[in-house]
Amino acid sequence: MNMPATLAVSILAGLIGAMSGMGGGIVLVPGLTLLGMDIKHAIAISTVSVIATSSGAASAYVRDRITNLKVGMFLEVFTIVGALAGAGITIAAPRRPLFILFGSVLLASWVTLFAQRHEHWRPVARQDKFSQWLELAGSYHDQATQETISYRAARAYLGGPLMLGAGLIAGLLGIGAGALKVLIQDLVMGLPPKVSATTSNLIIGVTALAGTSVYLAAGFIDPGLTAPVMLSVLLGAFVGTRLLVRLSNQAVRRFFLVMLAVLGIEMILRGIRGV
Amino acid sequence: MCAGPAWREPRGMDHLIGYILLSGVLLSAALMLAGLGWHWAASGDPRMEAPLAGVNLFQLVAADLREVASGRLRPRLLINLGLAVLLLTPYVRVTASMLYFAAAERNWKYTLFTSFVFILLTYSLSLR
Repeated sequence: MNMPATLAVSILAGLIGAMSGMGGGIVLVPGLTLLGMDIKHAIAISTVSVIATSSGAASAYVRDRITNLKVGMFLEVFTIVGALAGAGITIAAPRRPLFILFGSVLLASWVTLFAQRHEHWRPVARQDKFSQWLELAGSYHDQATQETISYRAARAYLGGPLMLGAGLIAGLLGIGAGALKVLIQDLVMGLPPKVSATTSNLIIGVTALAGTSVYLAAGFIDPGLTAPVMLSVLLGAFVGTRLLVRLSNQAVRRFFLVMLAVLGIEMILRGIRGV
Repeated sequence: MCAGPAWREPRGMDHLIGYILLSGVLLSAALMLAGLGWHWAASGDPRMEAPLAGVNLFQLVAADLREVASGRLRPRLLINLGLAVLLLTPYVRVTASMLYFAAAERNWKYTLFTSFVFILLTYSLSLR
C-alpha cells in the first residue's frame, strides 16, 4: 500500500463524508480497493472510520441542538439489527458481488442526488398517533436565516422498518448509508433537511459500531492500518463539518455527482471483470 | 406550534452526548497519533502491520489494560488503546442515553429503546 496515497484518499473521504452527510465510506472503500486493498478489509476499515467521522461531526451538531435525539434513538433500534446482518453477509460473501453491489449503491446514490428537487421543506400537517406517541418533534435555530424552526415527524411506523434496510447496506458495505437514512427521514418522516442530515450522523456511529463488532470478531481489522486511515478521515471530516454550516450545497452537490458516477461505474466493471 | 411539554427535547442530554462523542474521538485520535508517531520515530517506517486475530472489544480492552498495568508501554499498545476508545465511544453514548432516559427523564419508552440497542451491542461486541 502506498502510504501518501492512502492518506490522501482518506482525507478526501472524510471531507466529502461530512459535507454530504453520507459518511466517508462511500469514497473510502472504492479508493482503498483502487490502491490495492482487499475489498473486505477495506469495508472493515471503512466501518471503523465511519464511527470516528460520524461521532466527530455528531458531537458538534448535538451540542448545536440541531440533531433530534429521540428520532435518532428510535431509528437506531432498526439500523443496528440491519448492520449486524449485513456485516455477517459480507464476511461470508464472495468478493465480486460485493464490488457490483457497492457500485450499484453508488449509482443509486447518484440517482437520488440527481433527482433531488429543490422544494422548500413543508412542515408535517398532521402527525399520526404513533409518531405522536414516540414524541417525535422538536425545534432548532437556523444559523443562516436566524429563525427558530419547529417541526413534527410523521409515519415513524414506516420510517423505522425502512431503516432496517439502511442498516443492512451500511453493515454490508462499510458505509454510513447516510443518503438512504436522510432520504427516509426527509421523504417518509417529513423532517427538515438539516435535522435529518444531522440526526443521520448520530445514528451512523452506532450502526457502524454494530458492523465493526462483526468485522473485529472475524479478524478483519488491523489497527496498524486502521489508525492512519481513521486519523486522515477524521482530519477531512473536521474541515468538512465547519464548511457545511456556511457553504451552499450546490457546489458540493455537483462535485459529488461526478464522483459518484465515476466510482460507481468503476466498481461495477471491476466486479464483472473480477479484478 | 410545538410547545407542548411532551415535545420538549432533552436539553441536558445534548451536552452530555456531545461531550462523550467529542472526548471519545479526541482521546482515540490522540492515542493513535502518539502510537503512530512513536512507531515512525523508532523504526523509521510510517507503516505498521499489527493485525488482531479475532478478538472482541472487551478482550481487547482487558488485554490493553493488563499491558498498561504491567508498564510495558509501546506504540502498538497505544494504537490498540486508541481503537478500543473509539469503539467504546458510541457504546458509552448509548449507555449514557439509556441511564439519562431512565434516571433523569423517567421516560420509559426511550429507556426501552436505548436498552434494546445497549443489549444488542453488548452481545455483538462479546462475539468472537
